[in-house]
Amino acid sequence: MKTKVALIGVVALALIFGLSALTVAKEYVPGEPLKAGFIYVGPIGDYGWSHAHNTARLICEDIFPWLETVYIESVPEGEVEGYIDKLIQNENCDVVFTTSFGFIDGTFAAAQRYPDRIFGHCSGFLRVPNEMTYMADFYQIYYLNGLIAGALTKTNKIAYVGAFPIPELKRHIGAYTIGAREVNPEAEVHVRWIEAWYDPTAAKEAAEALVAEGCDAFAFTEDSPTVVQVAAEHELPSFGHYSPMYQFSPEYCVSGQLVHWEAIYLDCLAKVYAGVYTAHNLENLDYWWLLREEAVEMGAKPGMLINPDYEDALKAVTVDDPVLGTISVYDLVMARLTQMTDPSMIFDPFSGPITDREGNLRVPVGSRMSVAELTTMEWAVDGVVGPWPGEP
Amino acid sequence: MGWETWVIATFSRTLAYGTPLLLGTLGEIYAERSGVLNLGIEGMMIMGAYSAFAIAYTTGNPWLGILTAAVVGGAFSLIHAFASITLKANQVVSGLALTMLGLGLSGVLGRGWEGKPLPAPLGKITVPVLSDIPVLGPILFDGQNMIVYLTILLVPLLWYILYRTRIGITIRSVGENPATADSLGINVGRVRYLCVVVGGILAGVAGGYLSVAYRPAWTEGMTAGMGWIVIALTIFAFWNPAIGMLGAYLFAALYHLSFRLQPWVSPELLRAMPYAFAIVVLIAVSRGTLQKRMGAPAALTLPYTRGEG
Repeated sequence: MKTKVALIGVVALALIFGLSALTVAKEYVPGEPLKAGFIYVGPIGDYGWSHAHNTARLICEDIFPWLETVYIESVPEGEVEGYIDKLIQNENCDVVFTTSFGFIDGTFAAAQRYPDRIFGHCSGFLRVPNEMTYMADFYQIYYLNGLIAGALTKTNKIAYVGAFPIPELKRHIGAYTIGAREVNPEAEVHVRWIEAWYDPTAAKEAAEALVAEGCDAFAFTEDSPTVVQVAAEHELPSFGHYSPMYQFSPEYCVSGQLVHWEAIYLDCLAKVYAGVYTAHNLENLDYWWLLREEAVEMGAKPGMLINPDYEDALKAVTVDDPVLGTISVYDLVMARLTQMTDPSMIFDPFSGPITDREGNLRVPVGSRMSVAELTTMEWAVDGVVGPWPGEP
Repeated sequence: MGWETWVIATFSRTLAYGTPLLLGTLGEIYAERSGVLNLGIEGMMIMGAYSAFAIAYTTGNPWLGILTAAVVGGAFSLIHAFASITLKANQVVSGLALTMLGLGLSGVLGRGWEGKPLPAPLGKITVPVLSDIPVLGPILFDGQNMIVYLTILLVPLLWYILYRTRIGITIRSVGENPATADSLGINVGRVRYLCVVVGGILAGVAGGYLSVAYRPAWTEGMTAGMGWIVIALTIFAFWNPAIGMLGAYLFAALYHLSFRLQPWVSPELLRAMPYAFAIVVLIAVSRGTLQKRMGAPAALTLPYTRGEG
């Protein structure tokens, strides 16, 4: 009797494990209903990075009737692997997106363990046949915002509150500085780091410190509308980041960077559904989407490129451009926007000659920085003032 | 740039950022003086921040928001009071649970509230004549809000009550030796309940200050660890409201300067500075001699049961 019970138990266990192994080993069949899982580093209520990814997820689910999505928020970067297991084993997701640079190792390891599932890692660089990478980058928009800031500053001190001193932010600050100095060679960009993606009180005090330094135009990379609010309190112009922040400062939010992650997600998921992307051909797939691909948009809010309150001020400042001639900053911004939106990307802010703030020539005349150079950029563009951890 | 602008900016930011720290610390001092450690500050603060924002947003009245934060903070602290005083649960566990509950609950309730600007945040005050006083005027009387002043006034009041009144002696004796207090006819449980609720009210107001005055917006987890600084400041203060004020403002000044000084000192080092300061102070305080002279309430974290004291 006892052996019989044990035998039944063994069979039952074998069945359970066998079945779960079967479900885990299922590869997506194009045209079948698709399930995608999203892993966020922050709360979806941050009104920044994670909020933007989640907004895109909802848009995808709305548009594709064959798509089902699930998400997990506030996942610590070191623990992502366990959460991926959960999405695959419990939720049976066909595609898993991990949306923070720090998820890089965990996602990579999981991609090896589940070779028939599709993985997308945001802002990273590790790829295998079943893991692609993607990024909607803002550097072109920071450059455009820099043109505006350079024209608006009266103290020639422009502020930037940064989260962490990593290549992404250094690239953004670089582009912002290049823009500001194209219009106003005297302009300096003063930088403060808060050493957190999300810490509203730190962002507040960092912005206040820059106000006290005499800065009078504000941009930032961190995940809350704090800097826009601080600038508004001091009646100073600012640029929103990630989400529309116009409503926090209707009078002083001049423009900003807006993201459309859905551009990438829609493209990718549609191609998985159609069988174009499979778990065997993603090795060289890296979405590096910019203005041209409409993954990012300039504006204080969607559709408002430049706050109308600032139009006259920007039309009143003119610069001499070697190609465009004497042109108002307003028209220059529009011209550059058109050039960068053009399919052949006629203009790029990181075109030589560019020197770093130590005086070394970093980009020679006639060349542009490559995507690889941009994503590993550590040096500070001439005109940046303030701490720069990791400066070569 | 002249030294005046440095002094003015540093001190006025110290008052603005130090106020929620000070409010929380004053409340925690009262709770701990009665013998109840409340690690739920962060949870009560964030509940205060959320409820203040929601009410201020819907009614258009920031003071109604602050009032709600006080009520919610007080009510929330009752959970801890009930668990640790009535049920005699472990205070550390119950307090931590309160923090987790507050962070989670406010996160769920706050869905959809992020990204909304507050139409009428708490106003800034500029006192006509006084704000013209050199240096002191711009620091104290230009652009601060009413809660900053009320908090400063609260310090001597709470100090006086604690050290110079019968109520204060009662609170302190309950925290030092509840058995003796009980034998003198003091209702230990009731005193503790009251002190914990006072702590909750002040933590709630501190949270409300963050969401309707300091940075008028709601975002999930916006207290970002401030409640833990309060716990450290309470110890730094030797459970004395006056020293608590010094500690809160000192921490706030270091916090602000950690951004101001970045061009000269490494940002990583600076950002660690306020916390390093807290650790150094905690080590100093926990050294033998000091501890004997000005130590923690003797019955802190100990539940009281009649006949077991």
